[in-house]
Amino acid sequence: MKYELVSGLETHVELATATKIFCSCTTAFGGAPNTHCCPVCTGQPGALPVLNKRVVEFAIRAGLALHCKINTVTHLDRKNYCYPDLPKAYQISQFDKPLCEHGYVELESGKKIGITRIHIEEDAGKLVHDRGFTFVDYNRGGVPLIEIVSEPDISSPEEAREYVEKLQLIMRYLAVSDCKMQEGSMRCDVNISLRPEGADYLGARTEIKNMNSMSFIEKAMEYEYSRQAEILSSGGKVEQATMRYDEHTGETYVMRTKEDAQDYRYFPEPDLPTIIIPEEEVQKAQASLPELPLEKLKRYRDMLQLSDHTARQLYKYKAVCDFFESCINSGASARNSANLITGAIYSRFATEEQKEKFSLPFDAAQFAELVKLLDSGKINPTLAQMTLSKMLTNGGKVSDYISTEDVKGVDEGELEKLCREAIAANPQAVADFKAGKEKAISALYGYIKRATQGKADIRAADAIIKRLL
Amino acid sequence: MSISVDEIKWLAKLSKLDFDDERAAAFSGDFDEIVEFADRINSQIAGDTTKIREVGGSEIAFADLRKDEVKESLPVEKVTSNVVSEGGYFTVRRVVK
Ligand SMILES: [Zn+2]
Repeated sequence: MKYELVSGLETHVELATATKIFCSCTTAFGGAPNTHCCPVCTGQPGALPVLNKRVVEFAIRAGLALHCKINTVTHLDRKNYCYPDLPKAYQISQFDKPLCEHGYVELESGKKIGITRIHIEEDAGKLVHDRGFTFVDYNRGGVPLIEIVSEPDISSPEEAREYVEKLQLIMRYLAVSDCKMQEGSMRCDVNISLRPEGADYLGARTEIKNMNSMSFIEKAMEYEYSRQAEILSSGGKVEQATMRYDEHTGETYVMRTKEDAQDYRYFPEPDLPTIIIPEEEVQKAQASLPELPLEKLKRYRDMLQLSDHTARQLYKYKAVCDFFESCINSGASARNSANLITGAIYSRFATEEQKEKFSLPFDAAQFAELVKLLDSGKINPTLAQMTLSKMLTNGGKVSDYISTEDVKGVDEGELEKLCREAIAANPQAVADFKAGKEKAISALYGYIKRATQGKADIRAADAIIKRLL
Repeated sequence: MSISVDEIKWLAKLSKLDFDDERAAAFSGDFDEIVEFADRINSQIAGDTTKIREVGGSEIAFADLRKDEVKESLPVEKVTSNVVSEGGYFTVRRVVK
C-alpha cells in the first residue's frame, strides 16, 4: 500500500527586540552565563512580568504578513511544566486566545499551507549537562518568541523545507527576527503521520522536537516516513510519541510516549492584564508592511526583466535587495547591477551568512557609478569586472581605479609622449625622485593632469614614467 | 469523591511529589473539600465565571505596554547569591542521562 505523508510544523521564532518579553534585560545573544538576568526572568518570588510593547507589534506584523486575523482582545496563560530551564516552573504563553489566527503561507506551486495560530511566549533558559550536574544559564530565558503553528497541510519533506524557507524570508523582510537556525533563533517541531493514499482521516502522529536545520528537517521527515510506513505495512500501529532526531545517525528515536505525555494545565496568567489592541493599530501595521518576498520576486522578474535564476539569487537576501534597489534607484540598470552582484560580488562570499550580511567595502552609490559607466558603454564588461574586483579587495571609489582616460580611451603613445614632456619639464623633481624622494614624482603627475585636463590615467602614466626613469 | 486517587497520583507526579496510596487517599478527601469550596465561591459570583480574570478590572491598552528599552540587569553574583552555582551557572542535579 502507498502511504501519504501528513505533516504540520510548529516553528519558534525569536523576536529581534532589544529587551526580553517581560523585563528590561537585554536579549543579546551569548554573554557570560546569567549576566542578562533580573528577578523577573529568574522567577524570583514577588517579581511581576510587564509585557514588552514591541513584542506585540512584531507579532502583529508577522501575523498580518501571514494573512492572519488579529485578535484585538488577547491574554496570556501559564503553561505548567517542571524543568530547570524554566525558573518559575511555568512558561508564560498563550492558550485559548492567541494573538493571530487563520492565516497561510503560499508556496511557489500556489499551494497554501494554513497557519492555525501565532502566539507570543517566553523562551526558556539554556542547559549544559556535565558530570553529574546540569548547569543552567537564564540569559535566553524570557527572550520573546512567536510560535507559528501550521495546519497539517504539508505533504512532503520538500514542501516542509519550502515552507520553512518562506517563513524565514518573510520574517527577515519584516525585520522581526534574524531567523538564524544555527543560533537557535528559529527552530521547528515537526508533526508527522501517515495514511493510506486518498484516505480522509489522520493517522497517529509523532512529533520530532527542536529541529535547527533545514536539511535535518528533510532528512528526519524522510526517516520518520519510512519508519512509520514499515510499521503500518506490517500491520502494526504507530504509537503517538515525541521523538528526537539524532543528526549523527540520521535516525529518530522516542523521547517520550503518550503515557508520559505532558499535562500543561494551562490557566490564565493572573499577573498580566488582558491586552486591548485598537483596530487602528492593526490597520497601521498593515499599511506599513514592506513588499514581501514573493511580490519582490515577481517584480524583479516581470518589471525589471531579470531572469528567474538571477531574481531568485537576489530576493533570498534582504540586505542584497536593499543594496540592489538603492543602486537602481540611482539610475543604474537592473540587469548589469544584478549580474555584477550575483557574479563578481557573490564570488567573494563563501557562505549564506555572508550573503545575508552583505557587508562590502564600498556603498551602493559607488557601485551604481560603476554600473552606469558599463550601461553607457563607456567601459567594457571586462574593465567593469576588473574594477569591481579591485574595489572588493581594497574598497574605495570607482574614480580610484578608472580614470577618464579609461573612459575616453586616450591612446598609449599619446600618454608616453606626455610623460617624456613631463620629465623634461621637471628636472628638479626627477633628480629628487632619483635621490629617493618618492613624493617628488607628484610634480610629474600634476603636469600630465594639467596637460590633459585630468583625462589621463595617472596609474598608467605612473608605470610609464617609472619605466622611462 | 470528585477527585479520584488516580488523579491525585497524576498531580503528585506532575508536581514531582512522591505519594504512597494512603497519603493519596487522604489528599483525595482534602481535595474534595477544596473543590467544593471553590464551587461555592463560583456560585456566589454573578455572571460569567469564565471572565473571572477581568473581575479585578485588569486590562491594559496597547499604548500603555512597556517600552522596549534595555535597563541594567543584576550582577551575576546577586543573581546566583541564594543558589548552588558554579562559573556563574545555576547548578542542579543532572536532568538527563
Ligand atoms: Zn530580566
